[in-house]
Amino acid sequence: MHHIYPEGDWALRQIADDPGHVFFKGYGAQMPAGDWNDPGTKQGIYMIGPGGEYLEGAHAASGSASRLLKRMKAGLKRWEALKKEKGYAASPIPPAAAVAPPEVDAAPMALRVSLRDLPRGKGDRSGRRRTQSDLKGKPWMSFTEWAWNQNWLTIQDPTALVPLGEESQPVPDEVAQRIVREALVDNVRGQNRIWKPEDVKLLTLTMVRTRTSPETVEIEYAGEARMEAGEKRYAPRLAGRAVWNVKASNFESFRLVAVGERAGAARFNQRGEDRGAAPMGVLLELHTKGASK
Amino acid sequence: MLSVGPLGALGATVLMLAGAAQELSLPSKDVQAKDVQAKDVQGWVDQWAEFIRPSADELSYESIGWRNEFWPAVQLAQELGRPILLWTMNGHPLGCT
Repeated sequence: MHHIYPEGDWALRQIADDPGHVFFKGYGAQMPAGDWNDPGTKQGIYMIGPGGEYLEGAHAASGSASRLLKRMKAGLKRWEALKKEKGYAASPIPPAAAVAPPEVDAAPMALRVSLRDLPRGKGDRSGRRRTQSDLKGKPWMSFTEWAWNQNWLTIQDPTALVPLGEESQPVPDEVAQRIVREALVDNVRGQNRIWKPEDVKLLTLTMVRTRTSPETVEIEYAGEARMEAGEKRYAPRLAGRAVWNVKASNFESFRLVAVGERAGAARFNQRGEDRGAAPMGVLLELHTKGASK
Repeated sequence: MLSVGPLGALGATVLMLAGAAQELSLPSKDVQAKDVQAKDVQGWVDQWAEFIRPSADELSYESIGWRNEFWPAVQLAQELGRPILLWTMNGHPLGCT
């Protein structure tokens, strides 16, 4: 990960001469007070001219689609004027499709982790819940209308997920622990820490070959887990399947599903008023560079 | 994640994320356990994968040709004479940013 504006004086000193940092800092100096959150997090959405010119932008900007769209339109208007004034070429943009950080694209195996709140009973079509706090009208809180999120999990040794023989066997503990501690975390509505090793109270994850040919090995996974830390918990069943390409020594497909009950709240995961037990699902699928699945 | 890209179709908002869930009730814990142990593991996995996976509408922001490194994107923007849309966050892409 490349930091361009970390919080804290020490961290800022480490990148003082970084060209990306200098460029972004120069842009920020042109922003209206309040939109450039300084000191503080620079999480946000920013529209920048090729010479570092201010067009639009704000930290904490994306919670309200209508507010962001208004800023984007204002940024485009400023861009049209700037383009004429400075004679920018505005040449066509070469295609690209990066949806993951570089370190994810570079990993031997990367999984796209999708999380979603599940329906809470018969007739319920969605796990979405808007709490009293969500409804207070803060514009940046409108994201809580949705009930899904995504993340990535990288696996350095994909062969760890391939059974060595025909018998059912446990997924190596190091890989199984990474899956449950880092991917089976309630990030549906916001940020949450990974589980600590001592939070994993139960974990079984086995794998078995269901079909073997000279070209491919078809695999099924099954298991259960229970993670607990104070009031926070998640206790899913797991099942999955995959196809391993013997010659290429990589997965043609990989899909692991976790479905179970979560409870509790973390500092930043916006569950303060949704602490009770409710179902949550997690899907891990093969991430292909430049594609979502 | 650091998503950054020379400004292309800014008018197309990246936040069209309607949650169009199909009718699908959560089985009880006992049923879940039975389902996972049943013969149709593939069916169980596929059913839930389909439900949990974000829809094409929810992932519409990916249709933008994002770059995932800031400084190379700045250099490309300067070469092309185009503006940059920088989207940077360390949590939920729809929150806290």
